[in-house]
Amino acid sequence: MEHFKYFLIICTGFLLSCNSDDEPKKDSTSGKIIFNFEHFADGKVLDLDNLKYTNAAGNDYEVTEVQWFISDLTLHKSDGSKMQLGGEDFSHYIDTNIPSTYQWELPDEIPAGDYASISMVFGIKGEKNIPFYYTDSPESNMAWPINLGGDNGGYHYMKLNGFWMNANSERQPFNFHLGVGQERDADNKIIGFIQNWFEVELPASAFSIMANEHKSINIRMNVEKWWDQPNEYDFDYYGPMTMQNQEAMAAGVENGQHVFTIGSVVTVPSE
Amino acid sequence: MNLRRHITFGIALPAFVALAIWSCSSDDPIIDSFSPTPYVIPDAPHFPKILNIPEDNPMTVEGVDLGRYLFYDGRLSGNTSKDLLMSCATCHIQENGFEVGIDHPKYVGGITFGLPIPDFPDGKPTPHFMLSIVNTVYNSNGYFWNGMINESNNSLGNENLGVPADSQFNFKNLESLAWLTITAPHEMNSTVERSVATINAVALYKEKFKAAFGTEEVNYDRISKAIAQFVRSIVSHNSKFHKSLRQEAELNPLEQQGHDLFFSEDADCFHCHGGSILMTTNDFFNNGKDATFDPEDHDRHFVTGDALDIGAYRAPSLINVELTAPYMHDGRFKSLDEVIDFYSEGLVYSDYVHPLMKNVRQKGVQLTENEKSALKAFLLTLTDNELIQDPQFSCPPELKEWSG
Repeated sequence: MEHFKYFLIICTGFLLSCNSDDEPKKDSTSGKIIFNFEHFADGKVLDLDNLKYTNAAGNDYEVTEVQWFISDLTLHKSDGSKMQLGGEDFSHYIDTNIPSTYQWELPDEIPAGDYASISMVFGIKGEKNIPFYYTDSPESNMAWPINLGGDNGGYHYMKLNGFWMNANSERQPFNFHLGVGQERDADNKIIGFIQNWFEVELPASAFSIMANEHKSINIRMNVEKWWDQPNEYDFDYYGPMTMQNQEAMAAGVENGQHVFTIGSVVTVPSE
Repeated sequence: MNLRRHITFGIALPAFVALAIWSCSSDDPIIDSFSPTPYVIPDAPHFPKILNIPEDNPMTVEGVDLGRYLFYDGRLSGNTSKDLLMSCATCHIQENGFEVGIDHPKYVGGITFGLPIPDFPDGKPTPHFMLSIVNTVYNSNGYFWNGMINESNNSLGNENLGVPADSQFNFKNLESLAWLTITAPHEMNSTVERSVATINAVALYKEKFKAAFGTEEVNYDRISKAIAQFVRSIVSHNSKFHKSLRQEAELNPLEQQGHDLFFSEDADCFHCHGGSILMTTNDFFNNGKDATFDPEDHDRHFVTGDALDIGAYRAPSLINVELTAPYMHDGRFKSLDEVIDFYSEGLVYSDYVHPLMKNVRQKGVQLTENEKSALKAFLLTLTDNELIQDPQFSCPPELKEWSG
């Protein structure tokens, strides 16, 4: 046992010394960004489980949970150059049931300077949306069936679940789920798949960052915009589910261009 | 999302660090030559990399072996009279997917009860139906139908059962199930002290405790850790469905039709049961069984206090579902046919129904008879015949007469 103790002490020392050697050298010309995610409806923080909202089509509705993937966050400069963030960590899962998912701290060193805009991918691009890529929950629970999405449709982009008051004035559940759609023949057999992920350039997302500065940037999902424009999304028309309804998902994809905004950009005080 | 991070934290690092730290406990004079062999959960494609193994209970070959003996030893109930034995395996029966099953000669209809006590000479009924203990190592979202056993639960002991509010009698993980089972009047109805003393008197355990923990001394902490290790070792990767994903088997047309129903909104099973390869999300749902609810129910609301969790229970894994009737938290459905009929045309609306039950206003997904047959055929492909016959999970021969 004594020998093992000495071995452990030596190993610990070795690991500690390795750690300091391997630590990336701090770049005095760069800063860091933390992204935060927030969900709003009608200009205020989304009030979950409260049937108090009305969409553009006149449906009264409530939201119980929003679970979604963002990926390929990219910073754009005015000269046309861009920097994709995250590296292997190209995607992030956000879940209103799991507050810890509201923050995404990226490892990237952001060169000091002015940035013209931020873009993001809603969902995951097809080439990265591989079945069984995520083996652990909660991400694995977002799986999109292979029979409905093929080899490049591994995960829901979003599950937005809630209730609306249907035409019979009944509180009816809905699952506004977005992911890979299906192309079908006249017999309703699947003959192909349709990638529904989309890229958004976040409006008014210009920002500057100084050397050694930490920026906290809030990305906001404005939930009501999913059903607003250009398509007035009527739950009574589209029905309670979307996964096998490309018309419904296409309407959501078009509307999705207006869903995301920048909530705030704040400089985090140095400790 | 960094997959390599999951792999690192899931297996290699905690196993090494925990074993190293544990081995180094300088206060224990008995473990000079103690060097148990790390037990590695077999890797399988697509299965989770994050394993729910507490740092203070790393899995070892010797610990799993000891746990297997304790799991099958009816003397854990504190009794040595052969008509009063109860072990974990009394109800968690391997050939029934480690549940009691519906055809048990004693626990008729899958209704279990404890050892005889004065108020219940035939045994006090267990106030819950069984849940699978297969693949629990992959679950970090709590145990029991309502998830009461979880890392956030800071309760200790049970005054009514004479179990002190001591940290070893917690409600945090699989280890907690040992004292709960030993002391529950609807199960073993023993005391921790009596059960420890009974096991301590069995000669074969001296060597096994020494191999697993470096000491012959039997105590509750070691009993609970060993049983938890054995339970964590019970993993199922080899159903026909899982083999089909690895191209080692092929579903027949009816099974494939059922698969496509299961994994679509046509039958819509997968949102709760099939997101991952575990055939469960391990989340909690009110699945539309009832319109009204008893405030005394031990549902998810009992744990969270959130009104939205009223009537919600864990979506159990469907691996081995063929073997694990009766179904639902209250065992109300006796067959898979009844379950399929329920989801097809038996749903009931309440204000607490989960929105994933989106067909509740139509009373269900409205399957045809052909679709029901196909769905059932697929569910039968979830049986892991290798697991239910695997000798490493079976009763040790020495304990056949003691398993209860």
